[in-house]
Amino acid sequence: MLRPLRVRSVDEQGIVVSSRGDRAVDVFFDGQRVWSFWVRRDTEAYRAGRRLAPWPAPLQRFLDGSTRVVVREPGSSVSYFDEEISFGDGEERIRVVNKRGVQLGYDKSGKLMPTFETRGRGDIAALVAATRSVLDALASAGVQPFLGYGTLLGAVREGAVLGHDSDADVCYVSDLEDPVDVTRESFRLQRELERLGFETSRYSGAAFMVQVAEGDGVIRGLDVFGGFLSGGRLYLLGEIAVEFERSWIYPLTTSLLEGEEMPVPARPERLLEATYGPGWRVPDPAFQFSTPVRTTRAFNDWFRGLSPNTRLWQRRYARRARHLPVRRHPSDAARRVAREARRLGAPVLDVGAGRGADSLWLARRGHRVTAYDYAAESGLAVVAAAADEEGLALDVRRLNLTEWRSVFGEGARLAHSPTPRVVLAQHVLDATDTQGRRGFARWCSMALRAGGTLVAEFHVGEQSQDLEWSIGEVDPDEMAQWLTDGGAKSVSLTEVKRRKRPTVRLVGEW
Amino acid sequence: MNVKDKLNVVARVRSVAQLEQRVADLEADLSEMRRHNLRLAEIADVVQELLIPMASRDEVKVQEAIERFNKSL
Repeated sequence: MLRPLRVRSVDEQGIVVSSRGDRAVDVFFDGQRVWSFWVRRDTEAYRAGRRLAPWPAPLQRFLDGSTRVVVREPGSSVSYFDEEISFGDGEERIRVVNKRGVQLGYDKSGKLMPTFETRGRGDIAALVAATRSVLDALASAGVQPFLGYGTLLGAVREGAVLGHDSDADVCYVSDLEDPVDVTRESFRLQRELERLGFETSRYSGAAFMVQVAEGDGVIRGLDVFGGFLSGGRLYLLGEIAVEFERSWIYPLTTSLLEGEEMPVPARPERLLEATYGPGWRVPDPAFQFSTPVRTTRAFNDWFRGLSPNTRLWQRRYARRARHLPVRRHPSDAARRVAREARRLGAPVLDVGAGRGADSLWLARRGHRVTAYDYAAESGLAVVAAAADEEGLALDVRRLNLTEWRSVFGEGARLAHSPTPRVVLAQHVLDATDTQGRRGFARWCSMALRAGGTLVAEFHVGEQSQDLEWSIGEVDPDEMAQWLTDGGAKSVSLTEVKRRKRPTVRLVGEW
Repeated sequence: MNVKDKLNVVARVRSVAQLEQRVADLEADLSEMRRHNLRLAEIADVVQELLIPMASRDEVKVQEAIERFNKSL
């Protein structure tokens, strides 16, 4: 029996509730679910024993205008609040939509996403078809995939995708039981999917994402999670490590998802309980994983750490990814690189190009440029398109300094066509970890094998630590030593001031 | 509390602190060992997908292997 819940007020601060027990509620604006929260877990103490659920940051910018706010029990018609509310000075109806006009809802990752409840039947059918094609591709590559996480929950509990979900999840449990072999298998599966024409990106050693485009340009992520059984425990990326029987997974059975028969574990309720707890049968749009520290630590050690800080860069670039970088002047390092490239008649490799401002400046001055970054949403695609239109010799490639495969793969490509080159590394060494700095030195040894120059700048000293993107502190002498070990004939270090911060310019000659 | 009792308390506190330190050290050592898994998998993949085709010295195959490998990351 649920304890009484009362919504006391709704205003620009948030939703004020009084409740003795905790439970999830959905919040609707003009019939569109925009948010869900737990009335105690996600609220803060307010006056007279009441609690305030502050509007989440992504939703705040929409709060200007009028809307009919309804607070309701998930999956039922019981409403705790139903009133017309005005926010700010706006006179229009509030529309929680993206630039394309697609309706958004707050999803489990804390972002406003085009959740399934706002999508048309056609879009959902397209996603189910895409899920089917990924399942088929994985099966043809030799594993036995099944629906996982929210997609499994939707299929088993409702026979449909969950309204508040925004992605689809596919899992498999490997026949292998060693993390090294499981990782190699995941690499192989990704390669197989790429070969079949899927767009993919990796985010850990045993999980990757397949990007599926929907009709109106919404790119939907379909996650492929690897798992394995070892010592009687099931380890399934990215949240599960429990005592488990193989016979609870295989042989697979089927369940209906949007009318389509889809593969699910032999005992889906066992996996759902391991994932969402014994209460999985009750809808909870505000569900949050409380993954045990032991599980997170094991997954972090075995499979993660390939791309430190990518989320931060994706967030920073997300708002501006569609616009060309606007910067009046190139960096000082880029000017130096331009002189070196002219002197040597050599192409420029801009490592950690970010939004590509220096790359574009160099290309517009007639240099042949390759812009490298590891963050998929860095906005370099826009720079590449502009360069194409202007007829510039600018190429965009991915390079992840913390991933050995990327360092060796791109390094091998460059070493295979030996020519002098000039490398620009503007605030890369201070934006990566020790692994990345070592990776950079190794990559330089391959890229500059036939001669050339490296110009790098990075912040040093305690002040550098307060930058949001800084990871650890660069030791200039250590960096110089690694580069010398990588074949640099000379490395010079000069202290300079950039934006009032102590900075080192490193110039290496090969 | 007499001197003997006080010494016992001190010894117990010290022994708990030592155990806590040992657990922290073991966790760090375990983590260090586990982190080699990913690196070993990466190296094995590089050897299999890049180094072995390169050893063939067939220029077309080498070029293909490099392109295919980089595209799959």
